Amino acid sequence: MGVKEIVKKFLGYRGTIPTATVVKEGEEERRLSGYRFYLDYLIKDKVAAVALAIITLFTAWSVVEGTLQYVGYATRHRALGWALLPSNPIALNFAASLHPPSLSHFPVYIFGTNFSGESILSRLLYAAPKDALAAYLVVFSGIIIGMLVGTFAGYFGGWADEVLMRVTDAFLALPGLVLAIALSVLLGSGYNSVLISLILIWWPTYARFFRAQALSLKSRGFVEASKLSGQNSLMIILRHIFPNSVDPVIAYAALDFGNVILTYSTLAFLGIGIQPPYPEWGSMSSNGLPYFPQNWWWSIIPGLVIMTVVVCFTLIGDRMQDLIGGRLTY
Amino acid sequence: MQTSTLIYLVRRVINAVVTLLLLIFIIFVLVHTIAPTPVALARIYCGSPHCPPAELQVIIQQYGLSLPLPVQFAHYVVNIFHGNFGIDTLYKVPELQVIGQLLPITLELVITGLIFAVIIGLFTGSIAAANRNNPIDYSIKAVYLVTWSAPVFLVGFILQLFLAYELKLLPPSGLANPTLGNPPPVTGYPYLSAVPQPLQGWLSGLVRAITSPPLIDAAVEGDWRFFVSGVHHLVLPALAIAVTSFGVVTRLTRASMIDALDRDYVKLSFMKGLSKNRVVYGTAFRNAVIPIITLIALLFGFSTAGAVVIEDIFQYHGMGYFTVQAIYNLDYIAILAITIIVGISVIAANLVADLLYGWADPRVRLE
Amino acid sequence: MSVLEVRDLVVEYSTVYGVLRAINHLSFEVGEAESLGVVGESGSGKSTLGLSVVRLLPPNARYAGGSIVLDGQEVTRMSNSEARRIRGTTAFMIFQDPLNSLNPVKKVSTQLLEAVEMRCKKLGETYDVEKATREVVEKIRDVRIPDPELILERYPHQLSGGQIQRVIIAMALLMRPKLLIADEPTSALDVTIQAQVLKLMNDLKKEYGMSIMLITHDISVAYNISDRIMVMYAGELVELGSADGVIRSPMHPYAKALIASIPRGVMRDAPLEPIRGSPPNMIHPPSGCRFHPRCPFVMDVCRREEPREVGQDGRVVRCFLYG
Ligand SMILES: Nc1ncnc2c1ncn2[C@@H]1O[C@H](COP(=O)(O)OP(=O)(O)OP(=O)(O)O)[C@@H](O)[C@H]1O
Ligand code: SF4
Ligand SMILES: [Mg+2]
Repeated sequence: MGVKEIVKKFLGYRGTIPTATVVKEGEEERRLSGYRFYLDYLIKDKVAAVALAIITLFTAWSVVEGTLQYVGYATRHRALGWALLPSNPIALNFAASLHPPSLSHFPVYIFGTNFSGESILSRLLYAAPKDALAAYLVVFSGIIIGMLVGTFAGYFGGWADEVLMRVTDAFLALPGLVLAIALSVLLGSGYNSVLISLILIWWPTYARFFRAQALSLKSRGFVEASKLSGQNSLMIILRHIFPNSVDPVIAYAALDFGNVILTYSTLAFLGIGIQPPYPEWGSMSSNGLPYFPQNWWWSIIPGLVIMTVVVCFTLIGDRMQDLIGGRLTY
Repeated sequence: MQTSTLIYLVRRVINAVVTLLLLIFIIFVLVHTIAPTPVALARIYCGSPHCPPAELQVIIQQYGLSLPLPVQFAHYVVNIFHGNFGIDTLYKVPELQVIGQLLPITLELVITGLIFAVIIGLFTGSIAAANRNNPIDYSIKAVYLVTWSAPVFLVGFILQLFLAYELKLLPPSGLANPTLGNPPPVTGYPYLSAVPQPLQGWLSGLVRAITSPPLIDAAVEGDWRFFVSGVHHLVLPALAIAVTSFGVVTRLTRASMIDALDRDYVKLSFMKGLSKNRVVYGTAFRNAVIPIITLIALLFGFSTAGAVVIEDIFQYHGMGYFTVQAIYNLDYIAILAITIIVGISVIAANLVADLLYGWADPRVRLE
Repeated sequence: MSVLEVRDLVVEYSTVYGVLRAINHLSFEVGEAESLGVVGESGSGKSTLGLSVVRLLPPNARYAGGSIVLDGQEVTRMSNSEARRIRGTTAFMIFQDPLNSLNPVKKVSTQLLEAVEMRCKKLGETYDVEKATREVVEKIRDVRIPDPELILERYPHQLSGGQIQRVIIAMALLMRPKLLIADEPTSALDVTIQAQVLKLMNDLKKEYGMSIMLITHDISVAYNISDRIMVMYAGELVELGSADGVIRSPMHPYAKALIASIPRGVMRDAPLEPIRGSPPNMIHPPSGCRFHPRCPFVMDVCRREEPREVGQDGRVVRCFLYG
């Protein structure tokens, strides 16, 4: 197998890598992978750059606001949680009940108010950290669990592998949302039970992913070589299998943050998770259901915000998959 | 039928049964991890955290919750295979009976939505592939990236707002015009009594699922006014389901179409001098739809989940709507029953997809 | 008259890294009933050349100059429907990867009958299924597959690599092209099958008298089949001449190195040497002579200027050593 073929195989490229830039296998693989590679192209692509900027903003805001809320909670100064917001997100103000979006008192009414007269903008901003935490925590836990379980099963094969495949089959037979509903209802309402149930249903996909990677990597030249040179399996897995299988997963994970937010907010829509009076993007939307369509903003604007964030994750993930698939050349 | 085809069939069926058993096992394990003691379990079955202790004892007796775990599991499996999911805490009737009436409504909705989604997806996906990297391709991509990133409820709200409230094209909610009343369901299956007892529950459920979706009922009974009204009410929620799920089909169709178009056998077909249409739709499309088949089961699951939200928004009183009620009432028995029934439906959809796949791809069939 | 005449051809791919010029000012011709071997290492643009002749370049490629005259018709400026007319019956290309060359969901017989049907349409013959079937069976026998009827009823995945390659050769015979382009017809097969397929091609060449352009990275394969050999390096012609001439007395340093690296080739006593250095960067090719970073005879002028093709008596070389 020539160098070109190896690189092609590794990245799934189809005749689009200029052979000539390949000097040594190792160098080429390094050049085409890693966050620098993605970042370079994401920034050059205007749409992806905007998406990246929005995500960065969303994440940064969530970190700041989340810290404030936590500190406020820990020191019993809950008002700290809304120090940065245009208005108190959980203060009833029936005088301003169902105020349509407007520029008066900018920015408090920009997205309108709900029945209790709370500013939808403030509530959206207040709820953001919970969504961000759910997205990052669930995906990263999924990756870590999936990586451990999937890699070992794929690398060693045998009955462990068989069991893993069966169990993940069973998990994946159920739509994630349905299983999440059942688990979170059984676990009792609250943010933590939603997180636990999301993690529980999220790992099988990643286990599959890493298993497939391990399977294809374990027969590759450099792994065979290390085997022959007498390295033990644990070292091989740590040195070769993990690092080489993470890359394709990154692109999928970027998309997946959005999926978690969608599932999470759908659960909230159904009344599972954080309970009133604390706002949640999904539950804000469903609270507006009885007032729809007269007070459309109450239901629709939180939905649009969710969509915006998810679209950005999707765009980045999609772009990265294009890069990995080498489809950018066309 | 060739033996290899038969073997393929049998293998897929066994596979489905094993997956189902494992699913039941997983749910059993999860329930018992969440509620490790008989009393905690009884609370779940009771449907209220404030159940009086005396009642808890009754439930423990009734459901055998203090028996050893393997025995409990065996009971659990046997019960499920008998179609015995317990008594609904709200309606006080067997769960299967409630779900047996609501599932057909949801199936009708989901399958209609799925058909819309697949048609839209195949169509847009092939167009995108045939025009790859020009504005048409990018526009299609922009549209589906947005639709699959939109939460189901947003899609529901927006469709309802514009198509029903603004343009008044379709009714905003409900199963059918309420003044019409339900057509009498097809009743009486005398031949069912000939079936051995344990299977009867399931079989009647199955027969009902096939013969009793309200629209089919209406058509069978010749109640055309109900039928038309039902179709009218069905379109909007089905469209909402299609909008959220067609993107997956588009994307896969585009990818597998492009992949097929890059294959040497497509080049060879061009080489023979076949016309572009014949190569694109005869050779490439025929190969490209094969992977789409595997999506069916996935989409079915996804849409069934989406139906929970959609039915809530559109007041479409099927199993999804019932699920939302069960969540609010903490009706654990209903939720567990729904989970397992959805699991069974998805596994069945998987089986159908597998069989279709074998039919479409000789490489699988003849292995 | 020659079947194929390529003049000053330039083909470029656009890639993420920039424009890649896979074929750079290439000129040659293939005569009637002549076979030309095109030799070069991986990435030298051989497949690109074949695809440009039959107008099947991938979407990110474009003709950036020059002309290809195939059987009297200009290929690079053809409309799609004109291109369709020349494909198959005028030129037929066998692709590099035979194992993926048959449609997996159709039976072998269907795919071969399609070929006959298309030929009949183009040549204005009437298409008759029974006659066509007889012809297909006969051609399958011609490519030395026993039990043609059995093979025809199979799906591609039920055939071995050698059988698939033979089926494709049979398809080529059914189309009766004036020019057959075979891209690495043997490299996906194992060694014993390779020899059989090569022998088959040799026999068929004599039997059918079609022109053949054989693309290979293995110069000894080219020597076995071809009348003339063209050596390519980085998208350029570096040496062209009669097969005997090129093999026995190569002139260009790259051709010399290629021949020296044949394991047990024509020149048994020459020392076996791999070519040193690595293939050139095709997006930013070396200045001057593209081979200079690897050339043992490199001179100052080679780094500055591009050598021109010089030729006499049908022998062409592009190297400053020869003026
Ligand atoms: N679709 C494509 N997009 C971009 N570059 C391409 C594409 N196809 C080929 N190339 C590049 O063009 C150059 C010539 O490729 P080509 O496939 O013609 O070489 P080859 O001589 O046939 O090599 P091999 O022996 O590996 O088949 C290579 O550098 C290759 O990387
Ligand atoms: S031109 Fe110079 S560098 Fe190029 S092959 Fe000839 S001698 Fe070598
Ligand atoms: Mg090639």
